[in-house]
Amino acid sequence: MPPADGRAGGAAGPALAALQGQFFGLITAPEGVAAGLAAAGLRDADLDRVIASDQRASAVERLDIYANMYFYRIRDTLRDYFPATAAALGEAGFHNLITDYLLAHPSRHPSLREVGRHLPGFAARHALAAGGRPWLGELAALEWARLDVFDRADEPALDRARLQALAPEEFASLPLRAIRAHELVPSVHAVDDLWSAVNGGADAESSLAPPAERETPAAFVVWRRETTVYHRLADAAEAEAIAWLQGGLGFGALCERLGQERSPELAAQRASAWLGQWLADGLLLSVGAE
Amino acid sequence: MPPAPAAARAMPHFRYLGHGIGLRPEHYQAVLAEADAPVDWFEIISDNFLVPGGNPRRVLRGVRERTPVVMHGVSLSLGSVDPLNEDYLRGLRDLAAEIEPAMVSDHLCWGSLGGQYAHDLLPLPYTEEALRHVAERVLRVQDRLQRRILVENVSSYVAFRQSAMTEWEFLAALCARADCGVLLDVNNIFVSAHNHGFDPAAFIAGIPVDRVGQIHLAGHSTAGALLLDTHDHPVCDGVWDLYRMAVRRFGQVSTLIEWDDHIPPLERVVAESRRAAAAEAAALAPATAEQHASG
Repeated sequence: MPPADGRAGGAAGPALAALQGQFFGLITAPEGVAAGLAAAGLRDADLDRVIASDQRASAVERLDIYANMYFYRIRDTLRDYFPATAAALGEAGFHNLITDYLLAHPSRHPSLREVGRHLPGFAARHALAAGGRPWLGELAALEWARLDVFDRADEPALDRARLQALAPEEFASLPLRAIRAHELVPSVHAVDDLWSAVNGGADAESSLAPPAERETPAAFVVWRRETTVYHRLADAAEAEAIAWLQGGLGFGALCERLGQERSPELAAQRASAWLGQWLADGLLLSVGAE
Repeated sequence: MPPAPAAARAMPHFRYLGHGIGLRPEHYQAVLAEADAPVDWFEIISDNFLVPGGNPRRVLRGVRERTPVVMHGVSLSLGSVDPLNEDYLRGLRDLAAEIEPAMVSDHLCWGSLGGQYAHDLLPLPYTEEALRHVAERVLRVQDRLQRRILVENVSSYVAFRQSAMTEWEFLAALCARADCGVLLDVNNIFVSAHNHGFDPAAFIAGIPVDRVGQIHLAGHSTAGALLLDTHDHPVCDGVWDLYRMAVRRFGQVSTLIEWDDHIPPLERVVAESRRAAAAEAAALAPATAEQHASG
């Protein structure tokens, strides 16, 4: 028991940098503090010389509180960010994925908001994906994109009436640009069905059908309008066209690029149809707002 | 508008705001739907608003138009031996420039090492080396932000045998060296006193009266023989008792109810804030009567 005035005694101890190094290493040890101590060639008594303990809790038990908080706070945050991925893997599978993930990608950003940024890529390469879940990274990427666009900058969307007021030559040269609050996620599996099932209330791993492979690769367009995040599937050609919009592209130039592989009439029809859809989505940046 | 301080003893650099609550996503709609702000002020977790746009910033702008806001961060990592994160500091400075908060605060702790973040408030040894280190960093933060900050005592589950002073002695010395204020978390005093076996009244008595700019109240939970700072319960009777003790010592200090997990409807958190206002009034009533009698 430490002295009742809260002063632990002023015993000799490690310098601040060494103390923090030992502390951090033990609370982030994947198997817990006791295993971390053993791996470092230390015994409980070594920890007792640094950390005060009493009959209620040993030094290892006290440090384990921080170790548990470290892991479970991040795991629970990631479960909130990736609910469909977590549901598809089940409790144990997701727990193991996050254990491995934190070893490979410990948090390097002060905001907990950023802790999941590398999970889609990591999940795609994980043994859980190789073991019959080739869609795992794609599902995580869809969930991350939805989260990521939520906090991006607010920008006014291009309005159909503004476009209709333009003279034809002005319209053809008008630079179309996508809002920053959008993302394209390549998709070769129908992970949106699984996403919808989980967000519709399904949460049991066994009740979720594995996503089928698509006949042709496509991409999800993910974007935010006001405070709501949307996603829809776009074919590969539309996804490519949306990617062109990130640098800004006039409608005339869009038709020209499309015309390289089809007739000018078909190209114009296709571009017009997409433009109508993008305006309805709110995916284009208002003129003068760039 | 809350009344002016009766005792005018609280830190003069920090305005008395009355009683506030944390602005949490679960309450965004309810807060904006009310014609008048339901509390005197709101606290934001600064880290959650260091994004360029989206709903958090939209809500914050709406709230700030009607109510004072204070910024409370969790990632300055004031005690870490890592360099201060300049990007994070810039983010804080820019956010503060935009919303003009009444106060900016963070914790007496560390949470990062070697560029990795634990996303936790880890305890420090209360040594001269740690005091020098933290004081120097608080001074640099205040220089970057061009304002005095408040430093909050954390709940802890570990005490270091090498500590040569108490936590309150450390905080008092930090205030003197870095000219910062104290955000006195009464629940954290209660939790740490239980976990380490010290007298919580001694903690309150050891904090300089003129340095306390804000008080936090929260609920905690039990884990075996120890208490955990979980912010998922109402404030317990023992913490209310300590709060009244703190008010009698420090006078009127802006007071926040923290409720961060198992968050109830807005009305319930507001009711807890009103209970804090009533507790403050009750604690000050005898002192006021005594002052009048002696005056």
